[in-house]
Amino acid sequence: MTTADGPTRRRDARREHWARRRRLERRLHDGAAVRISSLALRLGVLDAPREQIEALQEEVAAALDELRAVAAGIYPPLLHEAGLGPALAERARSTGADVALDVTADRAGPAAEGAAYFALVEVLAATPGPLAVSARREGVSLVVVITGADPALAAVLVDEAAPLGGDVRATASRIVGRFPCG
Amino acid sequence: MRVALAEDGALFRQGLVMLLEAAGHEVVAVEPGGDELLRALAGRPVDVAVLDIRMPPEPDGGLVTAERLRASHPDTGLLFLSHYAESHYLVRILEIGTERIGYRLKEKVGSVDVLSDTLTRIAEGEIVIEPVLARRLVEKPRTDRADVVAALSERERDVVRLMAEGRSNAAIAGALYVSGKAVEKHIASIFDKFGLHADASESNRRVLAVLTYLRSQQGERS
Repeated sequence: MTTADGPTRRRDARREHWARRRRLERRLHDGAAVRISSLALRLGVLDAPREQIEALQEEVAAALDELRAVAAGIYPPLLHEAGLGPALAERARSTGADVALDVTADRAGPAAEGAAYFALVEVLAATPGPLAVSARREGVSLVVVITGADPALAAVLVDEAAPLGGDVRATASRIVGRFPCG
Repeated sequence: MRVALAEDGALFRQGLVMLLEAAGHEVVAVEPGGDELLRALAGRPVDVAVLDIRMPPEPDGGLVTAERLRASHPDTGLLFLSHYAESHYLVRILEIGTERIGYRLKEKVGSVDVLSDTLTRIAEGEIVIEPVLARRLVEKPRTDRADVVAALSERERDVVRLMAEGRSNAAIAGALYVSGKAVEKHIASIFDKFGLHADASESNRRVLAVLTYLRSQQGERS
């Protein structure tokens, strides 16, 4: 094994990790979610007292809520379908995070987008705000710039960027992460 | 009502056909994807087409199919059923059309009454939006931007949320326990704060107000 094999294998493994997470989310959506939501409809045509049916349908809706929360933690479908900008905006809205987003629409592939998204979710959760986050594709990398976060949070970006062969620089006011696109 | 349906999950498709038929609707086409639905509807218009968002053609075939249907059959109502209630999709849906259109969670149309009410409101020209989505959008006003929504009073925010659910003035008055006149006053004030002036029709301004609201929440600029 040459010295180049270590990082290359690590990067390939990490890319496969993100591809697998995306497939798992898709499987939840196409499998369990379809079965459970079709149950809600089948209950609706049962010949039973209305209160009983509604109580069961509420249970079904609660199960689907939990399934959606799990799927969002594996790989948010909006991240796959619409990209980092819409996924972060939806996340910021649902958590009430105080962040100004400036994310270009160009795509960076499931590994770079997944790694950047989950790192940013952690930074958002750890920062009371206000934060500014920009992300754009520069050549073969997705470059994320965070302004207003604790520089110690650079470690969160390192954990996600480094296995993909990326890097992170931090100053007192800014964290800049580079996530190589697959 | 004549209804057509495109959905790639076979079990959900069967469940929905059962429910539609139990509600007394005529299901004239049941297809696994958007392209098949367009072919099936070529010579047979329906009152409402029910579309899954996430189906072939990938990744969001429901939206592409809806755009084509709106162009070829402008009178056909469109109901999007999805596993996810996301404001990203709501904005895209309202860009396709602001009349005869709806967006609901799949598990929330599981009774004959709710499904029929949703279809009827759409066929009559209304917008029907999953209440949880409209509520979520309005309850978390963003504090980091001096945006248009920050200028709304709490009561005006209640009104715009109900407008986003596609409610009529009378329904808004009933929900907020105020008079119809008071609702009209709030709506006029919202139009004013959003800079929507009288050159557009009333229903158009309602929708523009809702869109302005949703866009301000997303940080999008139109």
